[in-house]
Amino acid sequence: MASSQPFPSAPPRPQPGFSPSPNPNPSSTADALQTLQIGRAPPPSAAPRAASIPFSSPASRFGLSRPGPPPFASRPPTTSAPITSNGPPAFGLGASRFPPPPPVAQRPPLAGSPASIRASPQAQVSRPFTGSSPSVPPPSSQPFMGSPPSSQPFMGSPPSSQPFMGSPPSSQPYMNPPPSSQAFMGPPSSRPFAGPPSSQPFAGPPSSKPFGAPPSSQPFGGPPSSQPFGGRPSSQPFMSPTMPFPGTPASSLPFGTPSWQFQTQQGAPPMPGTMQAPPRMFGMPPNMSGQPMAPFPPVTGHSPLAGHQVSTQSKIDPNQIPRPVPSTSPTLFETRQGNQANIPPPATSDFIVKDNGNCSPRLMRCTMNQIPCTGDLLSTSSMPLALMVQPFVLPHPSEEPIQVVDFGESGPLRCSRCKGYMNPFMRFVDQGRQFICNLCGFMNETPRDYYCNLGPDGRRRDVDERPELCRGTVEFVATKEYMVRDPMPAVFFFIIDVSMNAIQTGATAAACTAINQALADLPEGPRTMVGIATFNSSIHFYNLKRASQQPLMLIVPDIQDVYTPLHTDLIVQLTECRQNLEQLLDSIPNMFENNRVAESAFGAALKAAFLAMKPTGGKLLVFQSVLPSVGIGSLYSREAEGRTNVSSGDKEAHKLLQPADKTLKTMAIEFAEYQVCVDIFLTTQMFVDIASLSVIPRTTGGQVYYYYPFSVISDPAKLYNDLRWNISRPQGFEAVMRVRCSQGLQVQGYSGNFCKRIPTDIDLPAIDCDKTIMVTFKHDDKFQEGSECAFQCALLYTTEYGQRRIRIINLSLPCTSMLSNLFRSADLDTQFTCFLKQAANGIPASPLSEVREQITNLCINILHSYRKFCATASSSGQLILPEALKLLPLYTLALVKSIGLRNDGRLDDRSYWVSRSASLSIPMAFPLVYPRMISIHDLASKEDDGSLLSATIPLSSEHINDDGIYLLENGEDGLIYVGNMVNPDTLQQLFGVSSVDGIPTQLVLQQFDNDLSKKLNDVVNETRRQRCSYLRLRLCRKGDPSGLFFLSYLVEDKIPGGLSYVEFLVHVHRQIQTKMA
Amino acid sequence: MAADLAGGGVGAAAPVDPDGPDGVRMTWNAWPRSKVEASKCVIPVAASIATIRASPSLLVLPYAPLRCKPPCAAVLNPFARVDFAAKIWICPFCFSRNHFPPHYAAMSETNVPGELYPQCTTVEYAPPPLDAAAAAVPPPVFLFVLDTCLIEEELGFVKSAMRRAIGLLPDHALVGLVTFGTQVHLYELGFSDLSKIYVFRATKEISKEQILDQLGLSAASIRPGTAAAPGYPKAGLQANGLLPSGSVNRFLLPASDCEYTLSALLDELQTDQWPVEAGNRALRCTGVALSVGAGLLGACMPGTGARIIALVGGPCTEGPGMIVSKDLSEPVRSHKDLDKDAASHFHKAIKFYDNLAKQLVSQGHVLDLFASALDQVGVAEMKVVVERTGGLVVLAESFGHPVFKDSFKRIFEDGEQSLGLSFNGTLEINCSKDIKIQGVIGPCASLEKKGALCADTVIGQGSTTSWRLCGLDGSTCLTAFFDISPGERSSQPGTTNPQLYIQFLTNYQNPEGQMRIRVTTVTRRWVDGSANTEELVEGFDQETAAVVLARYISLKMEMEEEFDATRWLDRSLIRLCSRFGDYRKDDPASFTLHPNFSIFPQFMFNLRRSQFVQVFNNSPDETAYFRMLLNRESITNSVVMIQPSLLSYSFNSPPVPAMLDVASILVDRILLLDAYFSVVIFHGMTIAQWRNMGYQNQPEHQYFRNIDTNKLFLGVKYTDIFEMARFLLAKLNPSATYNSAHEVAPGSDVIFTDDVSLQVFCEHLQRLAVQS
Repeated sequence: MASSQPFPSAPPRPQPGFSPSPNPNPSSTADALQTLQIGRAPPPSAAPRAASIPFSSPASRFGLSRPGPPPFASRPPTTSAPITSNGPPAFGLGASRFPPPPPVAQRPPLAGSPASIRASPQAQVSRPFTGSSPSVPPPSSQPFMGSPPSSQPFMGSPPSSQPFMGSPPSSQPYMNPPPSSQAFMGPPSSRPFAGPPSSQPFAGPPSSKPFGAPPSSQPFGGPPSSQPFGGRPSSQPFMSPTMPFPGTPASSLPFGTPSWQFQTQQGAPPMPGTMQAPPRMFGMPPNMSGQPMAPFPPVTGHSPLAGHQVSTQSKIDPNQIPRPVPSTSPTLFETRQGNQANIPPPATSDFIVKDNGNCSPRLMRCTMNQIPCTGDLLSTSSMPLALMVQPFVLPHPSEEPIQVVDFGESGPLRCSRCKGYMNPFMRFVDQGRQFICNLCGFMNETPRDYYCNLGPDGRRRDVDERPELCRGTVEFVATKEYMVRDPMPAVFFFIIDVSMNAIQTGATAAACTAINQALADLPEGPRTMVGIATFNSSIHFYNLKRASQQPLMLIVPDIQDVYTPLHTDLIVQLTECRQNLEQLLDSIPNMFENNRVAESAFGAALKAAFLAMKPTGGKLLVFQSVLPSVGIGSLYSREAEGRTNVSSGDKEAHKLLQPADKTLKTMAIEFAEYQVCVDIFLTTQMFVDIASLSVIPRTTGGQVYYYYPFSVISDPAKLYNDLRWNISRPQGFEAVMRVRCSQGLQVQGYSGNFCKRIPTDIDLPAIDCDKTIMVTFKHDDKFQEGSECAFQCALLYTTEYGQRRIRIINLSLPCTSMLSNLFRSADLDTQFTCFLKQAANGIPASPLSEVREQITNLCINILHSYRKFCATASSSGQLILPEALKLLPLYTLALVKSIGLRNDGRLDDRSYWVSRSASLSIPMAFPLVYPRMISIHDLASKEDDGSLLSATIPLSSEHINDDGIYLLENGEDGLIYVGNMVNPDTLQQLFGVSSVDGIPTQLVLQQFDNDLSKKLNDVVNETRRQRCSYLRLRLCRKGDPSGLFFLSYLVEDKIPGGLSYVEFLVHVHRQIQTKMA
Repeated sequence: MAADLAGGGVGAAAPVDPDGPDGVRMTWNAWPRSKVEASKCVIPVAASIATIRASPSLLVLPYAPLRCKPPCAAVLNPFARVDFAAKIWICPFCFSRNHFPPHYAAMSETNVPGELYPQCTTVEYAPPPLDAAAAAVPPPVFLFVLDTCLIEEELGFVKSAMRRAIGLLPDHALVGLVTFGTQVHLYELGFSDLSKIYVFRATKEISKEQILDQLGLSAASIRPGTAAAPGYPKAGLQANGLLPSGSVNRFLLPASDCEYTLSALLDELQTDQWPVEAGNRALRCTGVALSVGAGLLGACMPGTGARIIALVGGPCTEGPGMIVSKDLSEPVRSHKDLDKDAASHFHKAIKFYDNLAKQLVSQGHVLDLFASALDQVGVAEMKVVVERTGGLVVLAESFGHPVFKDSFKRIFEDGEQSLGLSFNGTLEINCSKDIKIQGVIGPCASLEKKGALCADTVIGQGSTTSWRLCGLDGSTCLTAFFDISPGERSSQPGTTNPQLYIQFLTNYQNPEGQMRIRVTTVTRRWVDGSANTEELVEGFDQETAAVVLARYISLKMEMEEEFDATRWLDRSLIRLCSRFGDYRKDDPASFTLHPNFSIFPQFMFNLRRSQFVQVFNNSPDETAYFRMLLNRESITNSVVMIQPSLLSYSFNSPPVPAMLDVASILVDRILLLDAYFSVVIFHGMTIAQWRNMGYQNQPEHQYFRNIDTNKLFLGVKYTDIFEMARFLLAKLNPSATYNSAHEVAPGSDVIFTDDVSLQVFCEHLQRLAVQS
């Protein structure tokens, strides 16, 4: 293989020639970017900013690179051949083809077009790329980018691509964005439609789809709203304020400012600015209309890689490889148009949803936006069919709230056979006297008081007045029928570890302080009840209801067979006991100051608290610091055992990631039955066996928070903010959820944090806005081409204020018998999240190597299917990637290298990763696997246009310079990497010290009075806002273990036992070739 | 004849000190030499020992006693033969020769050590402590265990009783508090930040080890902690330096330190808050509460005098020791149920309390039980614990009743009224060779120290020569039963010493905390052969015999199913009278008894009618209560339990003993009936009228009023005429019933009963005794 292509030449790494740094561009991120680019040939020349130029140039590069499928090849110069051989590697593809440039101007135009675009099927295809374009702009800088046009393919539809792409390429793009990028972006983002113009041209060709498959691209783009990387789909990026920085959009989040007290900045609501950006219709990218498509045109079509022309040099330009591209400005997304489901924007982009029949993609989205008519078709595609449901997801602030419908005593109208709820897709016939259920096909009589005439269009005349008939998402007021008892009060029970270790590390004090502060955020009113207990080798309850006296401490010493020490008064109204509680929280750390009991009866404490909560249910928040060592459900240090038995360990290693025994599981099921949801905050400095502990939150709808190694200096802030978010975020209690779907499919399984007692429903003692549930489907029949398949998620729950509601989320998608349609409408975001969850589920069950292989094979099989059935025309030497899934290899690689799948990870880290993945939402799945990295040292030179966060850098050490400072965040942790040659002034500005060694490892970010520091704080705060999570900052220095730790996140690098991105592409390509042969 | 028999009355027993200087009374003061003779005596050979009775003439020696060589180990006593020149003494029990140790060197015939004075058959040794550690007197421990399943009013009484008690405690005494209801609450009084309570659940039995573990008091739970935190300051473990087991002083604090805390806790102590379903009893886990208390005390230094003072207001309905289910439709067991073995919880509960008793005995701690309830609370089941540990027991209807209040107060009071509570006693008995010890009845527990002196047959706590008296006081009395089994050699008359010796050694810790050893050595005469009936008769103590018989029969009733007590008593009495009466065969009219036996039939008559034998008039709880007191009181008091004393007051003469006969009821008399458990004052018809007219308030009738207020410990004063009458009449000899109305004296009363009168009883006795 090697031979054929030139690729080889271009090693991923920097090429000597270019000196990034030199880059003139002062402008944007320049530095950072450049550095990155360095590697790539093009960069240098490309003026960072010079958008225009960039493009052009980029194009070339792109072309080269991408096409130059060689890109891959390049790496492997020799070996890589495979790719190379193809000649025009897919990669290159997109990019090369389309010259992005044009785009720039365009945006506006596009807008108009959208409609039309859609019309044209092709158009759709295009999208992906387009999306990417944004990044392109900056083109100059990166190779990929550069070749905006081409790049797009990779980048993919701009939107999607961004995330990953993000970094290197993207960064530049961003920076540059304005110019060229937009062009791309615009279109791209526009998705399919928008794309059209351009796309068609290029795309026109069959190939286009692959790349273009505009829509699809989004997936990668990744993170939905949050815009981790690039932010939106490419298009807006620049333009719009959407960008993270501005922060605005995100602002919606409750979190917002307040939470991060510690960060001064936060206060300022950045959002406003952002908002300004006029939301665009999703469909139509503002940007260059034409562009989107453009990219694909030629070769690329499908696969990005294939550089079309060999022409370019042989090498694969790493910068040209598909990477996520962040986007910024919000787009407007109508869920349906012309009675057709629209393909949603990337989950990581910023968009505003107009619900006109289908639910917001935030609430529920499918791995493919067209449903295969048969099971065979589905299995041929190798893609998963699954829904990600996030029923309480935070809406965009500009979206209209979910409407509440009260049917009075009779309760919501349901199909009398399948019990599906009334929705916009139920068809009224016979003058409206009957309606046909879209789920089971049953003909129901319309109740008299629901009767309404049909209009000439065959629709009920009152459709627009009835939310349940015109909105994809509504809430029904539940009647008595839906209650087995009165709605439960909002009960919050805190239990705190006060064992010696917890006291000495300051964890107890941190927990008490956090609770004390968070009390203010508990829901107001008489329905809010609280309780508290502490434990070490015994359990200490507190009777808070003692008017004028101190609380009474009640100790339950029997930790084998626990009980509750009082009949009443352990859980009391917050209003009644606030003062007592505050005082108690203040005194707990002192009270146990001399405690020398090292044991911790976690399980028993949990059980005892549960017994106290049994009559009501509620949330149980546990603050644990050591390995539970005594009482029910005690554990032992399996980690140590694992180390000593290394020989036998390898085969059995994964068993250490399974719960140690069934005790906790049994307890958890009982908890769930009584509507008790457990969240565990692990403030620890040792092994605590998360594999065993996490069973409880997973079964009860809670989650694990992990602070390791707990630092009394830097962690209390995060602890407080996590707790605060935990209790103040939108959530529901005592919930039951079921997903129904049209005949032809059936639910295969649910995955997430819940308890399942009967096959059809899942029980959720609590469900909140961060929790996502994956629902997988299988065919049990065929669909007719042209029909629609409906999904309906019904969630019965109790609000914090004691109302019983049923939230109904509907999604109706067209069915297709064309494989190419499946690929075109594939949703990378959802699919990838699905893979992530499958991997997480597999980790405790099978040896690691198997899991990794499975994941890799998933990727290969999909690409192979595409290659075999949809891109037959292309040369076998090309790696052809479907546009919508062009980032799949990158994410797959990143997933394989993620903490959970690493051999060298600590058991707890891996278990935590597994447990976190189980309920992770799509937008958060991406950063977990492919973190966002930006440069900090040059922040001051970047324009503060709200896009600071979109200037992401690819996760490759090629882009790390010794004189740079970088922030890498995965949604939970923030690593600040400081090179060893950083300008002391910069250090002084950021950290208030002038030498690297002077920076404390336990970093607490301060704001100094200088622009750079302010911007860093802005960036951090914006990230926190986006992630609804308080970043745990950690300092990583080059040359010491922390630096290596940082480098372990650079998933594009070659590591021992792991391929580099380029190598991986080559590997994938080879595998496909083998299969083809 | 009948008059003779009945004539003695209780008043006859008015010697200055019936127990003598030794506090030892025997059924027979002259002992038959052979086993056969002994069995012909009918009344068992037994001694009642008032172990540490206060005595003004008691000699206290400030050194350790001198003991004979093992295995005898008897203590030097006045009956030893001493060779002053050779400095040798010969032990009267085993006849071993012992050298006096060097510090007796100065001894001579004119300089005799105290324990050799002939009149000092009872001496007390107060040896100096061996070292400083032993000298430190551990403070007494009082662990209060309060029932909270009470109505508010009762809880109020309990609280005020507690407050008073705490006020009376010596400052250094350690105090702990446990409350219980549905669950058990143990208060950590030493925790200053807030009120800290350990909560135990009732539903299962917890061992002492588990309790200590859970309280963090076991060695295992303390060590790891300290080891893990080497740098830590010692957290006041040795605060008072008295409890090496350390942190138990989290729960037990000197009264002076925790008085405020306790009073605050009592202020806010509520009745049990767990809901009681309709138709159910409150859930009350007395058993677990006592286990917890016992477990906690188990962490105290061995040898600490500690008592659990339990205030119980109802039956245990949950967990170990439960005596009845919570369902109200199930009544608390009665004697009838016990008889038919229909008390489903009884045996389980007995077993539980038996184990608890063993634990407390091994720790040397005491359980005092104060039960106040209208229904039973399970005294019958808990009796074993109270009795083995030498605890006090009081049964009353309410915590507001003076019986409870006064008794409770007396435990803590100092001064003359003080009970002189002592701890940690052990009793050893030595006796001459031909005597074997069958066992002891009374507030003690066997230490299971077997020896040659143990008899084959066992009565009460037997098969040992040494007993534990966890708690004892000046009035504690034990009954030891002896068996006579002469060796072959000693059965030959004239070859051996005509005297027998018995020595009682009581080790105990007096109320001040000092260790004392009281040694009582008594000697009695052997009576050889069957001919010397006269000597036996002379040595008979009919009061002691009646009491011993009552104790013995109570034990048999408890231990033996289907035991017919009345029949057994009748037969014994007839046999006794046949053996010791003067009569011509088959001539009832010729029957007479020696004065030493004269009242005995009357005692038996009353014993047959008493609560000890006629249990069906009482609940098992009451029976248990009566028997516990019978077993631990002095002979004098116990006799009153069997046959109440009746004093007659009139305006013109000093009080005189009256016949315990319905005939004593006269219109112008006030009768005072002392039945020990209750005191009844009966106003004759005329007196009652005067009283209703308020005569007692007039100065000239001061005396009249004083009769009313003259109270006895544990007394009950019935002032309601009907109530009183019922009670009194039940105790009187039904000499006049509706069957014999023709003989009624004017102004006297008639008893409506089918019981035979004493006269009839005696007539039958005479007839049967003389039968050939």
